[in-house]
Amino acid sequence: MAPEPADVLIIGAGATGGVVGRRLAEAGFSVVCLEQGRWHDRAEYRGAELDWELTMRKQWSTSPNVRGLPEDYPIDESDAEVSPLMFSGVGGSMLIFAGAWPRMLPSDFRVRSLDGVADDWPLTYEELRPYYERTDREFGVSGMGGDPAYPPGGEDPPLPPLPLGAGGLKVARAHARLGWHWWPEPNSILSVPYDGRRPCVQRGTCQQGCGEGAKASTDLTHWPKAIGAGAVLITGARVRRIETNAKGLATGATWIDEDGAEHFQPARVVVMAANAVGTARLLLLSASPQHPDGLANSSGLVGRRLMMHPFANVGGLFDEDLESWQGQFGCSIESFEFYETDEKRGFLRGAKWGLAPTFGPINAALPSRAGTQVWGPDHHLHVRSHLGRGANWGLFGEDLPDESNRVELSSTMTDSSGIPVPEIHYQVSENSRRLLDFHIEKASQSLLEAGAYKVEVDRLMRYSGWHLLGTARMGDDPTTSVLDRWNRAHDVPNLYVADGSCFVTSAGVNPTSSIAALALRAADHMVETRFNQQVPA
Amino acid sequence: MTGAAASPGRDPLAALDADRRAVLSSIAERLIPEAHGMPSAGSVVGDARLRFVLNARPDLADPLAAALRPELGDDPDARLAVLERDEPEHHAALVSTVVFGYYTDRDVRDRLGYPGQEAKTLYSWQLPEYIEEGLIDQVLARGAVWRDPTTGVRATATYPPLAWTEETP
Repeated sequence: MAPEPADVLIIGAGATGGVVGRRLAEAGFSVVCLEQGRWHDRAEYRGAELDWELTMRKQWSTSPNVRGLPEDYPIDESDAEVSPLMFSGVGGSMLIFAGAWPRMLPSDFRVRSLDGVADDWPLTYEELRPYYERTDREFGVSGMGGDPAYPPGGEDPPLPPLPLGAGGLKVARAHARLGWHWWPEPNSILSVPYDGRRPCVQRGTCQQGCGEGAKASTDLTHWPKAIGAGAVLITGARVRRIETNAKGLATGATWIDEDGAEHFQPARVVVMAANAVGTARLLLLSASPQHPDGLANSSGLVGRRLMMHPFANVGGLFDEDLESWQGQFGCSIESFEFYETDEKRGFLRGAKWGLAPTFGPINAALPSRAGTQVWGPDHHLHVRSHLGRGANWGLFGEDLPDESNRVELSSTMTDSSGIPVPEIHYQVSENSRRLLDFHIEKASQSLLEAGAYKVEVDRLMRYSGWHLLGTARMGDDPTTSVLDRWNRAHDVPNLYVADGSCFVTSAGVNPTSSIAALALRAADHMVETRFNQQVPA
Repeated sequence: MTGAAASPGRDPLAALDADRRAVLSSIAERLIPEAHGMPSAGSVVGDARLRFVLNARPDLADPLAAALRPELGDDPDARLAVLERDEPEHHAALVSTVVFGYYTDRDVRDRLGYPGQEAKTLYSWQLPEYIEEGLIDQVLARGAVWRDPTTGVRATATYPPLAWTEETP
C-alpha cells in the first residue's frame, strides 16, 4: 500500500534539508525526508583516537570517490580540475565541513551591476540579513559583532568568539602593522554550552566529525526538533527520480532502499536538498514527456554554472612552537582586505582568507596541502619544522559562473543501484588564476610580516571542492534561471530547490551560512503561501 | 564507520610473508633512518605498528603486498623509484604504511612533543588578549571594508569601539 502523501517531501537530510524540515514541521506541515546515508553516532568520529590521521585519508575523507561507501555515489571527475567533496548522512556534508560561517557581502548580490560580469541576485544582502540572524541562532554561531567588512547594525553572533590561537594572534598583530583588515572568524562551533550541546575543545579535527557535538550539523541542531514536531526521516533511501503528472507537477519520488527494493513516496510539494551536484543529477534523471531535458530545465541551465571556489593554501612556517595542530578547523581569523574588486589588479572580484590549524605529524610528513615530502635523515628536521609551527591561510576565490562548468549524467558509470552517476566538467578560469596569484602573494606577505621564515604554497588544491554551487540558479527570468527568487522552480510550481544549487554567483566566502539563510527564507515563503500552493490532485 | 574495519579474526599481517616484511623493513629504514635524536622507522614499524595500521586501513593491505613483491628486487631505492614512476598507488600505500606506523608510535610522538589532539577547556567569557592589546579597535578605526552596492565604492559607515562584557554564561 502506498504511503500517504506528505505535505512536503525533502530529498536530502543535510544542511538545507534540516533547516527546511524543522521550519515546516514546526509550522504544522507533514514532512517526509529521504536520505541516502544514515545517522552517525559521535562515538564513530576518530578525532580523539590514534588512527585519526589514517582514517581521515580514507574512511573519513571528504571525497566520496576516496571513501567509496555504499551510501556514496561515485562521481566521474576525470574532466574536472577540482574534485567535488560531500558526505551522505543525516547532517550531510556538515558532518565533515570546517564550520566557518561567514556571510556573503553586500556587493556579492550585485556582481553584474558593479563589475559588469556574471549576474545580479534577485535579492539583496539586507533582505537576507534577518535570515542570517535566525540561522545563526539555530545553529549556534560563535563570533564577534561589529566586523567592518559588513554593514553596521543587526544582531551580533549569539555566542562569544572562539580563540585565535598563537598563530592567529601573530597574524592579527601583523595585519595591525600592515593596516589590513582581520577579524575573529565566525564559526558554527560553540564557544560556550548552548541548546543542550557542549562547547568546542579545540581538538582541531572538525572535518572528520565533531566528537563533542560542538560543531553544528543538522543531525544535532535541526532534525531532532523536526522529528519531535512530527517529521519522518527515512535513511538508506536513495532517490532514483522525481515523478511528475500530466500537468507537469511533481507528485513525489521513487526511491530504492538498502536491499534494492523500490518505493514511491507521494507528496504535494517536493524540496530538493541534495547539494548542487546531487540535485542537478536528480533533476536531469527526472526527465519526462513534459520535461524532456530534465525536470525544471526549460532554461537549459540545470547542471550548468557549477561553481566550487578555486582554493589556494598558503602556509607559513615559524621558529617557535605554536601548537598549531590544535584549534577550531573552522578558522581562527579571517581577512576581507582584498575581497572587493580593484580592476588595477588585473582580475575581477576577490577572495576571503581564513586561517586554519595544521594537523598532526602524519600531515607534516605527508602534506595534504602545501609542502613537500622529505626522506632520509633530513626527514626528521622537516617534520619538526612543520609540526605545530605553521599557520595556514586558506584562500577562497570567487568563482564566476561559466555555463561550460557543469554536471551531466554519465553514460558509462552507475552507482550501486544502477543509477547514472554525475559527470563533472569543470575548468578554472583565467580570472580565477590571476585572482589566486594575487591573493597568494598578499597572503605570503601577511605571513612573512607575522614572522614566518618560509612560506609554502599550494596554488590550486584539487581536493578543495567543498562548496558546490550554482547548478539551478535563481532569477526573475524563466528563460535565464531555473528558480524564482523564493527557490521555487519556474517550470514546476510545487518543486523547490533549497540547497546551494540556487546560487547566482559564488561570492568568495564559505557558503553554508548563506545556503542555510536562503533555505530558511524559502521555507518561510512556503509557510506564508501555503494556501495558494498549487499541488497535484 | 570507525577506524577498525578489518575482517574480524583475521590477522592483517597474514598477507605479508617473511620476505615482504624484510623488504618493508629495509624501505622503512631508507625513508626514515635514525637521525637527529629520532629512531629509524625500520626499528619502530614492527608487527604491532603494522597490525595497527592495517587494522585501521585495511584498504592498504593489497597495494602494500603488491609494492613489496619480490620481483622488484633487493635495492630499496630502485624499488621506490620504479613504484613511484609506474605504480603510484602501490608507492603511496608503501610510504603511507611506513609513515602511519612510525607516527602512531608512542615513543616517536613523545620525542616530538606531540601528545595527540587534546581536549582543552575554553574560557570564552574572559577578555581576549587581542582586545586588551587594542587590535580590534585598530581595525574598527580604519572604518568600513565593504563596498556599498548602491555606489560601487567603499562604504563610509563608522563603527563604534568594541564593548566587551565579561560574564560567565
